[in-house]
Amino acid sequence: MTADQVKRAADAIAAEGTLVAPKVPTGLRRVPGGVDALATEHLVVNMGPQHPSTHGVLHILLELDGEEIIAAEASLGYLHRGIEKLAEHRRYHQIGTLLDRADYVSGFHTEWAYSMAVERLAEIEVPARAEWIRALMSELNRIASHLLWLGTFGMDTGAMGPFLYIMRDREALLDIFETVSGARMMFNYVRPGGVVMDFPLQAEPLIRAFLDTWDGYLDEYHDLLTGNEIFRPRVKGIGVIPRSTAVAFGMTGACLRGSGLPWDLRKTRPYGPYAELDFEVPLGTTGDNWDRYMVRMEEMRWAARLARQLLDGLPEGDFTAKVPKVLRPPAGEVYAAVESPRGELGVHILSDGSDVPYRLRLRSPALFNLSVVDEVLPGSLIADAVVTVGSLDIVLGEIDR
Amino acid sequence: MSPGVLALVSALAALGLMLANGVVLIYMLRKVLAHFHLRLGPMRVGWHGLLQTPADVLKLLTKEDFDPSATDLWLFRLAPFMVFVPSFMAYLAIPFSDSLSFTPLDTGVLYTLAALALVPVGILAAGWASNSKWSLIGGMRAAAQQIAYEVPLLLSVIGVVMIAGSLDMSEIVKAQQGTWLGFIPRWFVIPQFGGFLLFLIAALAELNQTPFDMSVAESELVEGFANEYSGMKFAFFFLAEFSNSFVVSALAVTCFFGGWLLPWVPIDLPVWVDVAVFLTKTYLCIFVLMWIRGTLPRIRIDQLLSLGWKGLIPAGLAWVLLTGVVVKLVP
Amino acid sequence: MPPDATALSRTLVSAGVEGAGVSEEALGVLARVPTDAVAGALAALAEDGYSFLVDLFVTDSGEALELTYHLRSFGTDDEVFVRAVAGHGAEVPSVWETHPAALYAEREAAEMFGLSFPGHPNPKRLLTTDEIGEPPLLKSVPLRAHHEVARPGIVRVAPEPSQEDEG
Repeated sequence: MTADQVKRAADAIAAEGTLVAPKVPTGLRRVPGGVDALATEHLVVNMGPQHPSTHGVLHILLELDGEEIIAAEASLGYLHRGIEKLAEHRRYHQIGTLLDRADYVSGFHTEWAYSMAVERLAEIEVPARAEWIRALMSELNRIASHLLWLGTFGMDTGAMGPFLYIMRDREALLDIFETVSGARMMFNYVRPGGVVMDFPLQAEPLIRAFLDTWDGYLDEYHDLLTGNEIFRPRVKGIGVIPRSTAVAFGMTGACLRGSGLPWDLRKTRPYGPYAELDFEVPLGTTGDNWDRYMVRMEEMRWAARLARQLLDGLPEGDFTAKVPKVLRPPAGEVYAAVESPRGELGVHILSDGSDVPYRLRLRSPALFNLSVVDEVLPGSLIADAVVTVGSLDIVLGEIDR
Repeated sequence: MSPGVLALVSALAALGLMLANGVVLIYMLRKVLAHFHLRLGPMRVGWHGLLQTPADVLKLLTKEDFDPSATDLWLFRLAPFMVFVPSFMAYLAIPFSDSLSFTPLDTGVLYTLAALALVPVGILAAGWASNSKWSLIGGMRAAAQQIAYEVPLLLSVIGVVMIAGSLDMSEIVKAQQGTWLGFIPRWFVIPQFGGFLLFLIAALAELNQTPFDMSVAESELVEGFANEYSGMKFAFFFLAEFSNSFVVSALAVTCFFGGWLLPWVPIDLPVWVDVAVFLTKTYLCIFVLMWIRGTLPRIRIDQLLSLGWKGLIPAGLAWVLLTGVVVKLVP
Repeated sequence: MPPDATALSRTLVSAGVEGAGVSEEALGVLARVPTDAVAGALAALAEDGYSFLVDLFVTDSGEALELTYHLRSFGTDDEVFVRAVAGHGAEVPSVWETHPAALYAEREAAEMFGLSFPGHPNPKRLLTTDEIGEPPLLKSVPLRAHHEVARPGIVRVAPEPSQEDEG
């Protein structure tokens, strides 16, 4: 526009109160106001429930501006089975089977949390051997669970290799679980009072064989991902969850420790034999995906050391207390929690003195960890969203219950 | 034979090679990736799964030709061919031996790269015509990536062209005869190592291969532009992808690894030896591509673009300048 | 390490929470507050360091619903429980502003018990769909197999399973 045209337009505005559009060359479409005023539209996409990297049936609604996320909302419930309602109609010994299906990746932890709650409610003294076996199995289960997370996290960043490598070790662990509990995933092994059967003799060489190879294999996983120049910029500084946000959204486990808060129930509320064991809790600093990644990697190393300590110090004695066939704990209320691979897994039981719980609530760590996605995903790219959700290590069976 | 019949025969031969290649490469990809991943791959159909790929081809051929209802139908049907035809065209100029190529061209390098550059048009068309959001994002990514990496790919072979003094691929190979100091083959990968690195990165991006498989990116975009495709239409995309990796590997062998030449032996070998040497080298290159695919994670789209525009293009220009200076100074 | 009950009640009183009764029970230190004072009590406790909401435990006692907010202070390593009793279908003010962890917990409590949480920014269902009917965790709602639930629009063609296994 020439100065003359501008003046004429300004005069026209002053005279009529409207803008007279200056003449544009015909045949050329101009965007009024330049490139900044280009009409753009946000794209709303459904990530999931059938999507390769939502770890089950998570459904996230993403509002996109190009590849950037403007708003995100998780939509849950595709795996809801009403476990809490069902638990109100099952006797205390039957509930373990239900809870195995909640967090199907780390069944020993859910069973332990539930058994601990029932034992506190019914004031059952658990033999030391049972506690040590529980801790041993749950530490091995922590490795198995973190391994599965590592594989899927690698897939989220686009590396297919780690997922198939971890299956080698996870297979060895599942064989151990099968030897000890008779099942590979849905154990129902830890029960109120102790464990269902004694630690078998043939399990010890299996566990020792696994532990002997484990450190080398863990270094191999570090070689596969940790030092990779493509992997590092994909996780460092991405998906930052500050400590205040992590606390506000109720995050626990590796997600909270990745944000730099040293909170591990095994240390802060020692249960089972953990007070007698020597271990450290790895910590992150900034709360980005890298910190959560490193915390979990180090946790696997410590879990193996714990397993070795537990195996070496396994006390002799009974593997279960005397528990009546039909358990009727006195009326009361109790909350018991364990540090599961995903965080604080709590079981809150209200008993009315009958043979079924009046109300059983599973405090799902992954649900609270997931609730942060609405907060942290906006502003990142789709590719980062996939990695961030992967770094939270969610299990939908436990979220939806 | 009249020229017309000859052209038809060589086109058919190229098509046959392309299809055979697809079948071999699918089996090779499965087996190579499997062994990198501590698996066995197909083992049941035939000896070590040899018949798995023919069985899959039969399955794809007999599948219903299905068009989702909300697509832009003509474009949707056209897109597989828009991808397939350029990648078929790219075969024509590759020299398999001194005397054997489908169509000897004076500007073979330029022609091959130009043909490959047409592929993303089809991918964008597929993403757009699918009328699916994930596909659209995949198509857009492919277009952005292609524009960013077309230039460094061209720049990376300019050095070779300057040394050989020809765009004809046969001439480029012939310029690599002989040895330095009696034992180092005169392959261009040695003087042009920087160009080769550029070529490798840009070619991976051009092929939509891990770590640059932006447009499919199955953990982000499900299957990207190919989301809505099934049956034979999907197979065309697949076939084009495999034949592109053959073409790019052949280009790498021609420009950097002495084409059909065997080092340290006299040059007048029978044709079949030349072809065998060329194919062996090409398949070794493809093996390296698969190795990378089985190992690396995926880069992010913005990192990819900034690597292309801010890293590879300036590096390519600098390399061309350097080569030019050296070629002028050292006759 | 259980917190001091008297200190807790002093905090609540100084924050202007009327009618709070603090007692030590088997569960832990429990403060009973009126329903409309829940948000105020939790805000006061958040000031005091109890900013981590461990869980929202709701139970149906038959006549009324009990909401138990399980709070934790990372500073002093204490835990307290805040309990409010609300009628069926009552409105309980949302506490998400001081404890964003309640965003999902309240949505779940709302659909499972038929409560409503005014002030919640996104009061949608979390785990169930609209077709589920009555809030499933209420004691008045019986546990039914899927074929016993009327689902409009769904016509069953296969024979119904036997009910022998039902405990």
